[in-house]
Amino acid sequence: MRKEDTVKLISAEGFEFVVHKDAAMVSQTIRNMLTSPGSFAETQHGEVTFPEISTTILEKICKYFYWNLEFASGKETEFHIEPELTLELMMAANYLHT
Amino acid sequence: MGGACSRKRDQREEEDNLNGGGGVSRRYCKSGSSKWLATSFTRPAVDFQPGNGKCPSLLDLCIRKIREDIDKYDTFSMLPRDISQQIFNELVYSRCLTEVTLEAFRDCALQDLYLGEYPGVNDSWMDVVSSQGSSLLSVDLSFSDVTDSGLIHLKDCTNLQALNFNYCDQISDHGLDHISGLSNLTSLSFRRNNAITAQGMSAFAGLVNLVKLDLERCPWIHGGLVYLKDLTRLESLNISWCNCITDADMKPLSGLTNLKGLQISCSKVTDCGISYLKGLHNLSLLNLEGCPVTAACLDSLSALTALQYLNLSRCCLTDNGCDKFSRLVKLKVLNLAFNDITDACLVHLKGLTNLESLNLDSCRIGDEGLVNLTGLQQLKCLELSDTEVGSNGLRHLSGLVNLESINLSFTVITDSGLRKLSGLSSLKSLNLDARQITDSGLATLTSLTGLQHLDLFGARITDSGTNYLRNFKNLRSLEICGGGLTDSGVKNIRDLSSLTLLNLSQNCNLTDKTLEMISGLTGLVSLNVSNSRISSSGLRHLRTLKNLKSLTLESCKVSANDIKNLQSNHLPNLVSVRPE
Repeated sequence: MRKEDTVKLISAEGFEFVVHKDAAMVSQTIRNMLTSPGSFAETQHGEVTFPEISTTILEKICKYFYWNLEFASGKETEFHIEPELTLELMMAANYLHT
Repeated sequence: MGGACSRKRDQREEEDNLNGGGGVSRRYCKSGSSKWLATSFTRPAVDFQPGNGKCPSLLDLCIRKIREDIDKYDTFSMLPRDISQQIFNELVYSRCLTEVTLEAFRDCALQDLYLGEYPGVNDSWMDVVSSQGSSLLSVDLSFSDVTDSGLIHLKDCTNLQALNFNYCDQISDHGLDHISGLSNLTSLSFRRNNAITAQGMSAFAGLVNLVKLDLERCPWIHGGLVYLKDLTRLESLNISWCNCITDADMKPLSGLTNLKGLQISCSKVTDCGISYLKGLHNLSLLNLEGCPVTAACLDSLSALTALQYLNLSRCCLTDNGCDKFSRLVKLKVLNLAFNDITDACLVHLKGLTNLESLNLDSCRIGDEGLVNLTGLQQLKCLELSDTEVGSNGLRHLSGLVNLESINLSFTVITDSGLRKLSGLSSLKSLNLDARQITDSGLATLTSLTGLQHLDLFGARITDSGTNYLRNFKNLRSLEICGGGLTDSGVKNIRDLSSLTLLNLSQNCNLTDKTLEMISGLTGLVSLNVSNSRISSSGLRHLRTLKNLKSLTLESCKVSANDIKNLQSNHLPNLVSVRPE
């Protein structure tokens, strides 16, 4: 994938996830960052840091982004959520408008 | 992480605003045979059904997961309030909240607890309710078993703005005492309470911020309205169906000049009582349905310069004194149904050019009177059911191009007159439930392509007439129950894909083939094919109708058990079935 089509999402611990912009923009919050005129400083470099989202949670969120795209294209599968992640994941999803 | 605010409190209040309630409801409500649609299913539709093509958000998925594992959670108090609020709402919606699981919401600083009609709610839930403390803004405990002592818990929730205790028959005057200090209340509702008396209403005197008070169907409140006289912020008061209310009760309302909506239908208030209302210059809605008032009350009403919605149905009006209607020029909605008025009264409505809705149901009016309506160019809704109107009168309506809804059921109109309606291109709803209407009448209406509701209940429509239905692609509801349809007529109905309500009952030749043909109408919410040759083996064709909430198959070869099986295996949304 071409660099300009991707965005780097960085977790609280500094772990980096490189995902397609299309996927990341499933999140309304990230979409706003990437598309607002003038843009946020971080997004000009194609990266966004989430100091309050742990690596485990951010990974799960990236998986959801791709699951969402598949769902939209007609592949309706189950999205598994581990019970122990639910609350933390929910808070992140709320923040990301996802 | 704060996150977006998820409060949606106002929505619910909109639902029940001034324009709702008595007589001038704007909610979907059409012919008598489907009136229940306006009172049921008010719960918000959070659709978690798989296979509806809409991708659930991650937040939705998490909420769903929590619902499934709800027994594993002891507390949600560490969550931001708007998230725990969403979990709470989902548990209520899915009926998964119990007295035990409620415990997890202790001290969550929730703002809204909508537990109206929720099963099992009683005083033992109130401790967790009150633990939300000063965060709590609105509580709905309608239809619950909460008693006077349950209300003690609310004392400390001093920021409460809205309380609903409709149909709570264990709450009495003593309970009202406990909420008398909640001076931030703006909305309070105790519909259908047999225990509240004038004495208990003294508790309302301190609720100085009250904007909306609803005491509909409280039969013992006579004399209690004196405690409202200083509640000058009051904008909406509903004391309909309190048949104890008399003229004397109107006096304390005379100074409540902020009142915008007053509903006193089915009380004992007479013309004399209405005279106390003269000073209510902000009053925009007045519902006097079923009150023993005459046209003499129009003297007082003409002083109400803001009046837009007036319901005088089932009163004691005659033509005598009706000339004063001409002064009510601001009126948008006027209901005169079931009064002993004739064409002579309609003369005085001529100048009410702001009228958008006029109801003359069962009045003694005929063709001649309708000439007075020709200038009412804003008219959208006209109710002429059970009048002497016939085909000659319809020509006076052909220039009312803004008409969206006409009811001509049980009139003497004929096929030939219907041509006069063919130019009313704004029409969305048309009721032609009259026995003398046939296929040839329908043929003259094919230009009305915007029709959404068509009621041909008693009309004699046959299979060949159904060909004309193909023009009405926007139809959402259709009733043809005249007995003349067979399966081959249903062919012309199966492509009306916008249909949500279909009533084909009384057509006794319809067979299972009909069900097969309509199995593609997946938008159907209500279906009635009673009195037909439908059999239990035809029910399988209905499995695709996942949105179906009401299914009526009386007098068919179908047992209650057959329907129950269909319901539990294929149609989980069904809530109303016949036979049951």
